[in-house]
Amino acid sequence: MKMTNKALLPLLAVSAVAGLTGCKEDAKPEAAEATKVTLEQGHEYMVVSNRPSQMHVIDLESEALIKSCDVPGDFGPGTLQIAPDHVTAYMLTDHYEKIYAVNLDSCDVVFSADMSQAPDERAKTLYSMALSPDGKELYTIQTPTKLYADHYEAMEPRLAVYDTASGKDAKPVRTFEVPRQISVMQVADDGTLYMAGADIYKMDVTSGKVDVAIPSRNWERPLYAPPDVLNVWPIQTPQNEFTILYSTAKFTDETYDMNTATWLWGYFNVDLETGETETRDFAEFTEIYFTGMRSPADPNIMFGVLNHLAKYDIKEQKLVKSADLEHSYYTVAMNHAGSKVYLGGTFNDVAVYDAETLEKTNDIPLPGGDISPSTAQVFIR
Amino acid sequence: MNNKLLKPLGLGLLTALSVASQSAVAEGDAVSIINDKCVACHAKESDTSWSRISHMRKTPEGWLGTIGRMQVMHGLEISSEERATVMKYLADTQGLAPSETEGYRYALEQRMNTHEEFESGLFTEMCARCHSGARVKLQHRPESEWMHLANFHIGQYPTIEYHALARDRDWWPIVKEQMVPMLGKQQPLESTAWSEWLKAGDEAVVGSWSVAGHMPAKGDLHAVMTVTEKEGDDMYAVALEGAFADGTPLTGEGSAIVYTGYEWRASIKVGDETMRQVFAVQDGTMTGRMYSADDDSRGMDITAAVESGKARVLAVQPAYIKAGTETELTIVGANLSGEPSLGKGVAVVKVLKSSDNLIKVLAKAGKAEGVNTVAVGTTSGAELAVYSSVAAVKVVPEFAVARVGGNGGSTAPVEARFDAEAWAAGKDGKAGTDDDFRIGFMPASWTAKAFDEQAAADEDLKYAGTLSDNGVFSPAGAGPNPDRKMSTNNAGHLTVVGTVTDGDSSVEAEAELIVTVQRWNTPPIP
Repeated sequence: MKMTNKALLPLLAVSAVAGLTGCKEDAKPEAAEATKVTLEQGHEYMVVSNRPSQMHVIDLESEALIKSCDVPGDFGPGTLQIAPDHVTAYMLTDHYEKIYAVNLDSCDVVFSADMSQAPDERAKTLYSMALSPDGKELYTIQTPTKLYADHYEAMEPRLAVYDTASGKDAKPVRTFEVPRQISVMQVADDGTLYMAGADIYKMDVTSGKVDVAIPSRNWERPLYAPPDVLNVWPIQTPQNEFTILYSTAKFTDETYDMNTATWLWGYFNVDLETGETETRDFAEFTEIYFTGMRSPADPNIMFGVLNHLAKYDIKEQKLVKSADLEHSYYTVAMNHAGSKVYLGGTFNDVAVYDAETLEKTNDIPLPGGDISPSTAQVFIR
Repeated sequence: MNNKLLKPLGLGLLTALSVASQSAVAEGDAVSIINDKCVACHAKESDTSWSRISHMRKTPEGWLGTIGRMQVMHGLEISSEERATVMKYLADTQGLAPSETEGYRYALEQRMNTHEEFESGLFTEMCARCHSGARVKLQHRPESEWMHLANFHIGQYPTIEYHALARDRDWWPIVKEQMVPMLGKQQPLESTAWSEWLKAGDEAVVGSWSVAGHMPAKGDLHAVMTVTEKEGDDMYAVALEGAFADGTPLTGEGSAIVYTGYEWRASIKVGDETMRQVFAVQDGTMTGRMYSADDDSRGMDITAAVESGKARVLAVQPAYIKAGTETELTIVGANLSGEPSLGKGVAVVKVLKSSDNLIKVLAKAGKAEGVNTVAVGTTSGAELAVYSSVAAVKVVPEFAVARVGGNGGSTAPVEARFDAEAWAAGKDGKAGTDDDFRIGFMPASWTAKAFDEQAAADEDLKYAGTLSDNGVFSPAGAGPNPDRKMSTNNAGHLTVVGTVTDGDSSVEAEAELIVTVQRWNTPPIP
């Protein structure tokens, strides 16, 4: 499946234009006929979505696309979460207003839910989607706008809990008020819901009680500026962690002089097995990364991506290696062994890098258009 | 994505401000169109009042943006003629007084290189980070309507509270508790300026107008603009006849409409190019900008005076003379009579040509430096700089944005145009001190170079476009470029160097040029 750069570039050009103009791709994936392929037990896969509106399954051993499933609705953002059974994948789409779950063996849509709960409201979910450890509950944060004939009213966001067995057109079984500005979420093994917003919150999904797990905007770190956190990519890591990058400035003294401040990258981390949290700087800020992930093979190694694939030694706060990329990639993913780094997002390909050398080893083109801001998920059936 | 959301709301729409096809406009028509088209959502409050609609005031462009949004986002079906009728009625009855647009007309005039600065950091961060602050400043509403607007923002653009400079704060409470009350207080619906303006009569525009202007990277111009009545409310036929200093003709015909009693909007075909005029008419003068409908960066600053009105001196072209030299100068004005005078130390050697609106003289400057006032008879106006040497140069604008375009894409490229503004050192002989005086825009030679190491490494100079000898930067084609690193588009970061030669010496200055991607969203007010 490896393509030469020469072959790839026109493809990129086409997809970039499509991305900019919002044109729908006419071409249907050739692999769509292989919808009946079932996934093998113990095998490692990646699920990734793209325009016009597909989920693709990539076999990570052969690094080949093995099947594509159509998903209803207008694509966007295409945010994915693989269910704990590793059979079903959930996609946020249709202008951030609908979630569909697709059985990856049959390509059947097994669940759907409108984020809006009344004819006179329009609710959007800003990348907030997570599943309980047993896969029985789906959590989303819905930010509704009430639509009056001649004006809008911004309503407070709610956490909506769905029973994933509800099938199509599911309705929430519980709702709770939550703070504004929450984006991505993950659930710990004990069922606690962690949510990235002004702070990293944790919620008891039964009572709706919200506590701060990690202070972010409200952190109290002497001589540090409040961190900036842009996180719209709900990465599920092989090592079961919820990792969120931040950037900040560290001042030399209480004059808080920007000119002598050091700009830093850091990460918040929740160990979803133990609930242990961490706030840690890991590098000088030299360029922007959209996503970062610690290596499942070595938790002291952090990978970051946008215009380079960069590899950092966390303890030493040092850049180990940096690879030039053929185009920007928004998201980083890794195999469970920690030997490979997969880059996705942006255009319509998944690039494979050797985690040790940062050499590019493969490029897996996807039928259809841009992956846009969707987040690939790696799982072992 | 839904293509419906992506229809450009801009340059196409702006045509609607001044198209020749506008039909007769009457208040009764507008009211019946509103009653027919708008009341499905906007409750009728009285014979001439509807919910939301009747509780705000804005510019013609502001109203156009609103009606356009109703069409694109809310399914309003309205013909161009009906839209023009409604827009005219709303701009006339719920517009802004001239003083209320002062300081913000750059947005109406599509001066895209304007660097806005506002006293309130909060206003800058909360409003002007996404669109021009002028778009806000050019609206008046009661607090309840500002609150509706705030709710609209979050309903229509749900990511708004996740952006940089929003995700670092409790964005929505700040909007509700600080911004809305602040705007309601600073820009209320009712104002003395507006009630006084409504009482004053409309500005007269029919007649012959003497026009003076300047186009960056092209030079000075003068023309005569003849305005005659046309069928339709405040509609006019316009004929323009003039030329640039280099002899290029500036001649064309078109049509105009006056909104709110003073907001002149015209569309004039000059050669192959459609030019828009956005002028404010005030007391027998027009000021504003005339720019290309295809590329709003190609525009000229205009002042005009009606020839039937007061005597006025509008400009002297060029606006400088070197001490101890002789040169031809053109005085542009209206209703001029009497002897031209160029101030102390500058003699009028000979009057070469003289009319009511144009006097061409051969002038001779003595040795004294300074800024003189130009007069004709008892009427004075323009300033003439007498300089002995060019001490410093500023490139205008010092910071410019050009945009890639074309290359099969839907959006045309946007140029950047530069002028070299010369300055004299003044009495102390030192440049950069308080007594420096402006000489004016002088011919210059132009070069571009990479702005910094990164730009050099990325070969921005090679890819981003070309700079002409006269200071026009033409950006390269749009779209990913396979020859560039990461297949990036032809964006670039350049330094533009303008060099003015003055006798044996030359003085140079630099400007920063960003060549970036297309503007996809081009509402009538940026």
